[in-house]
Amino acid sequence: MSGADRSLEFLWLKRSSEFRKEVTPYFGYMAQSGFPLFVSFIVLSSAFGYIKLIRDLPSGFPIALVGTVALLLVLGWSPLRSWLMMPDLVFHMPREAEMGSYMRRSFRRSVMMTSLLVIAVLLLYWPIYRQGEGEAGFWTILVFAAIMRATNLWGAWKERRMAWSGVRRLLRLMRWAANALALAVLLTSAVWQSALFLLLLMGLFKLLYRLPDKHSFPWERLIEEESRTRRSYYLFFGLFIDVPTLPSRTASRAYLAWILKYIPNRHRLTYVYLYAASLVRTEIGGIVLRLTVLFALIVYWFAEDGWLSGWGAAGAYIILLQLVAVQLGGLRHAHRYTVWRHVYPLPDAERTSSLLLVDRWSLAAAALLMWLPAVVMLLVQGLIIPALFVLLAAYAQIWFVRPGRLRHKLAEDAEEE
Amino acid sequence: MSEPILQVAGLTGGYSPRRPVLHDVTFEVRAGEMVGLIGLNGAGKSTTIKHVLGLMKPHQGQVKVDGVTLEDNAERYRSAFAYVPETPVLFDELTVEEHLRLTGMAYNVAEKEFGERQEQLLDEFQMAAKRKAFASHLSKGMKQKVMIMNALLSEPPLYMIDEPFLGLDPLGIRSLLERLVEVKKRGSAILMSSHILSTVEAYCDRFIILHQGRVAAYGTLEEVCQAAGIEARGGALEDAFYKLVTEGSQ
Repeated sequence: MSGADRSLEFLWLKRSSEFRKEVTPYFGYMAQSGFPLFVSFIVLSSAFGYIKLIRDLPSGFPIALVGTVALLLVLGWSPLRSWLMMPDLVFHMPREAEMGSYMRRSFRRSVMMTSLLVIAVLLLYWPIYRQGEGEAGFWTILVFAAIMRATNLWGAWKERRMAWSGVRRLLRLMRWAANALALAVLLTSAVWQSALFLLLLMGLFKLLYRLPDKHSFPWERLIEEESRTRRSYYLFFGLFIDVPTLPSRTASRAYLAWILKYIPNRHRLTYVYLYAASLVRTEIGGIVLRLTVLFALIVYWFAEDGWLSGWGAAGAYIILLQLVAVQLGGLRHAHRYTVWRHVYPLPDAERTSSLLLVDRWSLAAAALLMWLPAVVMLLVQGLIIPALFVLLAAYAQIWFVRPGRLRHKLAEDAEEE
Repeated sequence: MSEPILQVAGLTGGYSPRRPVLHDVTFEVRAGEMVGLIGLNGAGKSTTIKHVLGLMKPHQGQVKVDGVTLEDNAERYRSAFAYVPETPVLFDELTVEEHLRLTGMAYNVAEKEFGERQEQLLDEFQMAAKRKAFASHLSKGMKQKVMIMNALLSEPPLYMIDEPFLGLDPLGIRSLLERLVEVKKRGSAILMSSHILSTVEAYCDRFIILHQGRVAAYGTLEEVCQAAGIEARGGALEDAFYKLVTEGSQ
């Protein structure tokens, strides 16, 4: 290996350890918050459900379907940390020809991380699979999974190199579909059939990937992917502590943006308009939305289970609603340092009340959406008291407790400045 | 006539094959000449530069640097130019000196020459006092100076400079222009995009006027004026430009 190669590998190692150093303190803050408790709650309750499930698998349980979905998620997902950033376009692009040794490190990291994940899922799935009629043994499935893991990483790299986004998306979709098919065949058919099918698919994709126009090295794609990964780390840490603000990504979200048109064109609503737009378009809105949908599902499952006569669902709902509320609270940083605060002919006090207004109505909407599916389920089972209690609790929190707290936090922020 | 360092031939391109931003763009930049790339906002200047950098794939046509395309020989293509982006991009965790060292490594500048060039550049751009400063502590103009110093350090056959004067102080602008004249004399080719037409006219040998993704005029001041139908004289570039872009859009 030449000295130049070595220096790029060294750069990779340096960046990787710098990232680790950068995020370590945040894990500390996370540990101090209630998050580990929340995670242990989730882990314990799912472990309980899992053990109950494998001990007494209901007849007609969709064994192959569950395995296909679970393995598909961990086999199709092929992340790649490249640590690349904008200045690399100027300072390292001249060394593109030597970047192979640098990226090899990224691939090695990705293989290790994702393989561990695959093994974990496989170990969890195995006791379920064994109770079905599938023919493949544990080692056979493991070998297939290893081959598919490697092929997916290779395919995802080819996709990253593709010049046109449309073609790239199409091929990614096809890769996921092929994975699903291969897994379904593996879990239901004879081993030789699965092997033949997998080989066929791999051959097909080798041809497919050859067709479209490709970059020799996808600098911009890798830089974008890296910054997205970093942002998601910081969004996560943002749940527990103030984090440095990275330039946020915006999405148009037409399905939410129509709300903006209904904010009347009044002077005193200027900040309401601004905050509503920021919520709809930035990642905070995206996360609140995704969490709402996910949590609605979780609470629905609790309700369907009828656990603790509906109080289980009520408890889970109240805990999960706090998480949505914390996320939404991030909106207060959105225009903390904006120059418009000093330029616009508006009193700064207006900003606080506008933020409270946007916060209140968006949290109320999320809270309602999260509870709606569960409430139907609870009413069907005749569990009226927990259903109503939760609505009252959420109302009290959103209208009476939260505004005071938020005001307090805003005052604290103002003092810091 | 000297050999062309950058050749752009029949280039149609952009991010999406369905919506090309550039249409059939052809020009070249020869050794020892400075070419000004001018156009309104959104005319396709940055897209042209991205194509030359190899960050975008041509829908049609090709780009050659130092006689090769990126596919032919990535190493030769990449090491043949230095690029100064419109907004400075630096590593926050590196000092001014360390950026220069990094560039020296990337372009294989020998140790002895590196030392000499580094000192000269730090001195010339009044950055000697800031040599140990982290990039995150520099003003925008100083960051821009660091970008320019890095480009000059590598002494490549081709310089691609996007809007270099934004944020630079008057002394910085002067140092940059003096150095560009110097590297040009030594045989480097320069492609510079800028909105400051008086400076472009004074320093560039030829001009590419891009309008709505097409080359509206290309050549010396006389040729550009002729294309615009006006008489060539001092300060005529601005008039020619105005005429070409207003008539072109009607």
